[in-house]
Amino acid sequence: MSLLHATWLSKNWPNSNCPVLFLWADQWKVATPANYQFEPSCHPYALTNKELKNWLSSKELLPQKLADQSACLTLPSKVLKAKIDHDHQNSTNKAYPSLPLQAEELISNKYEWWPWKIEGIALTSLEASRWLAQLPLNNDSNLGEELLWWTHLQRWSLNLIAHGLWLPQVKLNTFKTSQRARWVPLLNQENERKRLEEFTKRMPLVTNCAVPWKTSKAETSTAKNSNKSEELSIYNPLASFRPRHNRLEVMEILEEILDAQLRNEFKPNDEDLDPLLAQWQEALGSENGSLDLDIEDTKRLVKATRSWKEGLSTKVRAAKTCLQLIAPVNNDDPWQLEFLLQAEADDALKVSACKVWASDSNELKIGNIKIEEASEILLEGLGRTLKYFPVIERGLEIPTPTGVKLSPAEAFVLIKTAAAKLRDCGVGVILPKSLSKGLASRLGITITAELKENSQGTMLREKLQWNWEFMIGGIKLTIQELARLSNKKSPLLNHKGTWIELRPNDKKNTEEFIANPPELSLNEALQLTATEGNTLKKLPVHHFAAGPRLKNVLEQYHHQKKPEAIATPEGFIGKLRPYQQLGLGWLAFLNRFNQGACLADDMGLGKTIQLLAFIQHLKNLNELSKPLLLIAPTSVLTNWKREASKFTPELCLMEHYGSKRCSDQKKFREELRTIDILLTSYGLLYRDNELFKEINWHGIVIDEAQTIKNPKSKQSLAIRNISQNLTSNPLKIALTGTPIENRVSEIWAMMNFLNPKVLGDENFFNQRYKLPIEHYGDISSMNDLKIRVNPFILRRIKTDKSIISDLPKKIELIEWINLSKEQQKLYNQTVEKSLTELNATSPNLRHGKTLGLLTRLKQICNHPALALKEKHIDTDFFKRSTKLQRLEEILDEVIASNERALLFTQFSEWGSLLQQYLERKYACEIFFLHGGTSKNNRQIMIDRFQEDPRGPNLFLLSLKAGGLGLNLTRASHVFHIDRWWNPAVENQATDRAYRIGQTKSVMVHKFIIKGSIEEKIHQMIIKKSKLAEDIVGSGENWLSTLNIEDLRKLIVLDNNHNEF
Amino acid sequence: MINNEITTAIGTEGLGEQSWWVQQWMELINSYRYKKRLGRAWNYAREGNVMSIRFEGRRIHARVQGTEQQPYKIKVWLDVLEDEDWKYVIDALARKAKWSAQLLAGEMPIDIEKAFATTGKRLFPFNLQEIKSECTCPDKANPCKHISAVYFLMGEQFKEDPFILFQLRGRDKNKLLSDIAKRRILINKEDLDTTKTLQKQPNQNNKEIVSTSLMNSPDHWWSYKANLDDDLVVITTAPEETAGPSIAGELPLAKDPKFPKSHKTFIKNLISHSQNQAQKAMLEAMSPKKISENIE
Repeated sequence: MSLLHATWLSKNWPNSNCPVLFLWADQWKVATPANYQFEPSCHPYALTNKELKNWLSSKELLPQKLADQSACLTLPSKVLKAKIDHDHQNSTNKAYPSLPLQAEELISNKYEWWPWKIEGIALTSLEASRWLAQLPLNNDSNLGEELLWWTHLQRWSLNLIAHGLWLPQVKLNTFKTSQRARWVPLLNQENERKRLEEFTKRMPLVTNCAVPWKTSKAETSTAKNSNKSEELSIYNPLASFRPRHNRLEVMEILEEILDAQLRNEFKPNDEDLDPLLAQWQEALGSENGSLDLDIEDTKRLVKATRSWKEGLSTKVRAAKTCLQLIAPVNNDDPWQLEFLLQAEADDALKVSACKVWASDSNELKIGNIKIEEASEILLEGLGRTLKYFPVIERGLEIPTPTGVKLSPAEAFVLIKTAAAKLRDCGVGVILPKSLSKGLASRLGITITAELKENSQGTMLREKLQWNWEFMIGGIKLTIQELARLSNKKSPLLNHKGTWIELRPNDKKNTEEFIANPPELSLNEALQLTATEGNTLKKLPVHHFAAGPRLKNVLEQYHHQKKPEAIATPEGFIGKLRPYQQLGLGWLAFLNRFNQGACLADDMGLGKTIQLLAFIQHLKNLNELSKPLLLIAPTSVLTNWKREASKFTPELCLMEHYGSKRCSDQKKFREELRTIDILLTSYGLLYRDNELFKEINWHGIVIDEAQTIKNPKSKQSLAIRNISQNLTSNPLKIALTGTPIENRVSEIWAMMNFLNPKVLGDENFFNQRYKLPIEHYGDISSMNDLKIRVNPFILRRIKTDKSIISDLPKKIELIEWINLSKEQQKLYNQTVEKSLTELNATSPNLRHGKTLGLLTRLKQICNHPALALKEKHIDTDFFKRSTKLQRLEEILDEVIASNERALLFTQFSEWGSLLQQYLERKYACEIFFLHGGTSKNNRQIMIDRFQEDPRGPNLFLLSLKAGGLGLNLTRASHVFHIDRWWNPAVENQATDRAYRIGQTKSVMVHKFIIKGSIEEKIHQMIIKKSKLAEDIVGSGENWLSTLNIEDLRKLIVLDNNHNEF
Repeated sequence: MINNEITTAIGTEGLGEQSWWVQQWMELINSYRYKKRLGRAWNYAREGNVMSIRFEGRRIHARVQGTEQQPYKIKVWLDVLEDEDWKYVIDALARKAKWSAQLLAGEMPIDIEKAFATTGKRLFPFNLQEIKSECTCPDKANPCKHISAVYFLMGEQFKEDPFILFQLRGRDKNKLLSDIAKRRILINKEDLDTTKTLQKQPNQNNKEIVSTSLMNSPDHWWSYKANLDDDLVVITTAPEETAGPSIAGELPLAKDPKFPKSHKTFIKNLISHSQNQAQKAMLEAMSPKKISENIE
């Protein structure tokens, strides 16, 4: 897959008239390392102009106006080997074979910076601003991450325009000595300055890594070899070029983008204007802004517009003047205002004026940041301060002032009004914490609370025992003290050594609070402790101290503390891993509060087992009085039955499925009386809704909970119908393997099932969360949403440090599946017909026919289309095979977590069908390696799967062609779609991924059709019977030795569980 | 005959908004005894007869269209301070941080003459006689009306740059500032040396500075993990009064007396552009167009 990048080509280059946004894309392929000598090599992975345009066009990303462009970019590259030619003394003969690194590529320790020539397209600033405005504000798989930086920058420029934060200027062009009328961003406000620093700090260097490449004269001239290196360094100082984070460069880009937009729609109106202003205005509306003035007028305009702008705001430099107010310890002492220099990049980096004056060379370092003209910056800032806070004048009578003393009244003026004005003209102000505008400086309360004596903390509504005290600036305050302080006339009050300010509303709010103190419930305690900055009856809650028992409850809720593990319950066959015991504890914890729980562990961590164990646990405690309704997709019903009978045989599980299922209400109730779990599918839940609705279930468990992501679907409706009718807090559990917390649109439906009150109704949810997050990538809404749902979701992933030690390196997962109607019919027909035929065949010819039959049955188990030799996929393709349905469910999770998988089959026809189907389904490239793959293609596939950072997630292989010798350790999943008689062959295939170089645990998925030939093979392998040894020893030949009756036993479909 | 004193180069409009040094200059001009000639010069200035004013080094060169076909050439200059005098001035400037602070922030300190006091010289000319001038016109009187017309407009020029006066006295901005800086360092050293013997230098209790260097790692080459700032999510417009063109105030550019409304109109045009664009930006931020919809 190609990935789009965008790099700025600055105007400050000799060969470019105006700056452009350079779009280019790369795509991994096998490439030979390039030798760098006198000219940069072509980027081996980059798309050509034409390829790029076609690709952009196919993705609907092609800009309207563009020009072909090529550029030279410095990129981190792996240098493979440095050969030094010892025969020549000339050092320029060094060869550096290297390859550029790509985004998302695993970074090795060794890399260097090399220039690469790249083709692409160029957008003018105006076109760039339009094009960027149309890109999504969150990640898109076609766009490199740095495109997001660009779209954010574009949005910043929109914000500046919306706030009118710009001024027109006249600027001299450094190279051409011509002047241009420009629209320039005005970053006078403190938050905009901070934003500049953020954009600078976070700028991906690829956005600014172009080097001004000019064809070296050494190449064209007849200059001798010995001059080459010298010329190289003059004309192409490429190898030494390193882009860096530079606020001036970000300013330049921002200015270009803003200028383009404001210029485009400016309509000059010359009426009443003098000739100079008229010309300037005309140029502000013209395309390139060039001004034709004599040198004297130019100088005047440049100087005048600069000081016009600097009247509002200091220049953007590495540091700014900063004033720090220090409160006195004693009431009667004066306040001290210290003068400092503060780095723009980091507020914490400061130096005192004293050091500034002492710096001889007028150049100073704060941390690693070099500050030029430090004393000028400090003085200029003090000069600005004089305008808004003139009282500092008396401190500036000496040559090198370091501060000034203030009266309390003056300090108050600074805090209340001057500080804000100073910050908005580029002077920093640091106030004592208790007086700064932060929340801590506001009068609020501190809370101590505990569960009531006899309470276990199981009811959210229950009231807590609690006390509160007033608190301001981190200091407690009694009611009497507050009354005494608020009677003082002075605005700044010294309370126990801390200076505070009481605001008019504070008195009112506290009086209301005292008059009518609220009660505190467990639920409120949960909310108050979930985030900072909460208020209770208008008063900020500065501190919340929970007693030991309450603390225990709160911490478990907030996932701050591990739940209390529950040991493997009696009656459960097998042993739970430590993290599974914690999972049980967590389910029990939420159940205690009657809260629904979503167990979202990664695939392979054993969600099924944890749920079964939990139900067993409930049963052991006699808490399971009524049956539990378990809903799962059809494709995993068999799996559930299998797992339940294997791990929790004491639980009575009944399947409600197939044509013989109960339809009579009375009989249904009768049946339910003796069982623990009723298992059914989402489809039947809807069809038999009337039947289910009438039952007062103990609770509902939904597996593959993403199935109900659409709240308007039949399935969601059916579940809502049933849960509405349930009395008294039913148990609700959702199981899913997808990272649900990142899927905003799915989260509401699931929470609506689990705990409807948490996220409110759908309209509210869409307005409050869905729209801001999906449309604007609003992070604070996303965080808020996560905080709200966090207590109800437990997701552990395979790579968690705490999990990984519990996990084996290879995990085998068996998927038990039923056949679809069509498959079943075809299977039965085939068996009957073939057995009859075989009966009539002479024993000599039977061998071949038997093998043919077995092959055909295995094909039917995969897909009817395979057995029927269909060449293309039809519209019902998905519905016709249950194996495919289950495969797709698992692949969804693999792709959602961006892992890679190997899929083995012994039928190459099946491979091609699957390739067709999956490529369409996931709209991406999928490899298929089979016996007919050319050697060349085979290597390309392997290289791309292993090396390409954006290579395909799925790799289909035929067992014979791909089972041996390959190294495919990028895969962490292996699928055996159909079974082979010989486990050694399967294991060899598995070992393509599970081998040296593999860093993750490998999940091995084996698909088995229940009751079919596949299960029989499986059982035989497991039992290691004599027969199995034969199997292992001789492949399929033994089959021909079976008599018809044995063969029938082996192949006939065991019908017990396959009713419809 | 003009009864009222002319307070700015283009009339009484804008009185009180003038920087004090521009006002002081106008007062100087108004002290001229021959009011009639002054009135004629004022008309000359207002009607645009002053073709150009240039600052070249320590002199002002101007061209004024008189009765003859060719404009008269005019030179204006002040007495330049000797290097010896500048030494004293720079020492004085360096001893009071306020002066450098204001000059760097674009203000002329109101008590600047104190810095010149030790030399017995001045920055501003004390009376008209201190302003030296020549005109190519046949008029014998000095200042003639052409020169006076230039005087009027010079006030406007001063507001473009307070450092012009220093330049006329023989020091340009860069030289002046770097001289002050050098002197300040010396003074600071001397002060420290003298205080060192008496007391230790106050120990600054600044915390150890933490370095926040940005590594050029390849990760940083491609990756951008930041989320859109909260206040860029929903973009709103700000009140007109806080927009750049509204708060920037008057352009520090000499006015052309022929176009008295010029500056105000220019700012008005900018403010109206600012409002239109703000509305448009807000709408655009709310509902971005799709690329495929963007057909010109």
